[in-house]
Amino acid sequence: MNTRVILTIIFISFGSIAAMLPKQKISSIQLEADDLLRDIKLRTHLVSTDELADLLINHDPTLLLIDVRDSVEYGKYHLPGAINIPLKELLDEKWLPYVDQLSKHNIFYSNGTILSSEAGILCRQLGFKNNFVLEGGLNAWFATIIKPEHPGSMATSEELDQYARRKAASMYFTGSSAATDQNSAPALPPVPRKKKKRVQGGCS
Amino acid sequence: MGPLVPLQNISNELNLLIAFVIGLGFGIALEQAGFSSSRKLAGMFYGYDTTVLKVFFTAAITAMLGLIFLSFVGLIDLDIVYVNEYYIYSAIVGGVIMGAGFIIGGFCPGTSFTAAAIGKIDAMWFVLGSMIGIFIFGETYSIFQELHMSGYKGAVKVSDVLGIRDGYFALLLILVASAMFWLAELAEKKFRRDDITKEI
Repeated sequence: MNTRVILTIIFISFGSIAAMLPKQKISSIQLEADDLLRDIKLRTHLVSTDELADLLINHDPTLLLIDVRDSVEYGKYHLPGAINIPLKELLDEKWLPYVDQLSKHNIFYSNGTILSSEAGILCRQLGFKNNFVLEGGLNAWFATIIKPEHPGSMATSEELDQYARRKAASMYFTGSSAATDQNSAPALPPVPRKKKKRVQGGCS
Repeated sequence: MGPLVPLQNISNELNLLIAFVIGLGFGIALEQAGFSSSRKLAGMFYGYDTTVLKVFFTAAITAMLGLIFLSFVGLIDLDIVYVNEYYIYSAIVGGVIMGAGFIIGGFCPGTSFTAAAIGKIDAMWFVLGSMIGIFIFGETYSIFQELHMSGYKGAVKVSDVLGIRDGYFALLLILVASAMFWLAELAEKKFRRDDITKEI
């Protein structure tokens, strides 16, 4: 047998092995446990309800709210401007332009934070950027923005200030009139507000 | 070193150095295969010497098998291997121009550099000519832009278009290549010409 025949046989046998190999998905973008833990410590992947209210009131053009609950729940109630991508369909081809992009800041939310955190971790695992999770979910949204509780008479001025802002946001989102609170302390001199923390990470 | 998983986090400078070494290797391989000889290259078109076909196809199937096996053992991420984007019409026009230049000049772009490196004067003129061509194309790009961009298909792989697994396509291509090598040997016998390299 000459060399050419031997080489041909070698190539064909390697090719046959290649054809028999199972299809395997190897991704070099691995979600490192260390990175994940750091995010959890620094809370960089979270957006608080106050920050979200601020973004919504200011009509931040880079904000995209994504409701990861199913469509029935979405139909009953959803945040203004939110689109519905049920968690099960998150990685469908048609939604990829929404979750794998660099121009918007996506905020996932669900009733609590379980579904939205899963969505956030899935997107991070795939290396998608600019995806955040609403801290506390819709439950926190209702508890803090829609029906804010008065912090009590012993509250610090920061807490009262935050309450006033939440109350104003509540009016903005529900359209209800400002309920005058008889028990509230007399108006305090205006406190310079701290500049709100912008949504962190991504390309901002 | 992009897709190679163990070399994910090396510096850009080292990356370029590795690319340089691979480039040198490519040049040496071309020279070893005798591709600095115009007679050998043009022989492909006349059928008396099919080394070009055999070398490039062997290289392609070797690299293809290498990628498939490296990917299987988890050393390479095929998703981030760059796949050239496919524009149908510019690929056809470019192929015709390249083929014509191949026969007329006796070199293809890569081999012209290996031949120039070993001191062949015609290859140096060939390199100069291709540089002028690149310059003219760059300066008059607006005329060709529409043709260049037409028929865009994106970064597609043949296996994706056929809807088969990469491994099956690899086996298919190896079988096709083996058949072609056999045909090429027949052509070499039929269109045989005496080697006159020593006389000129």
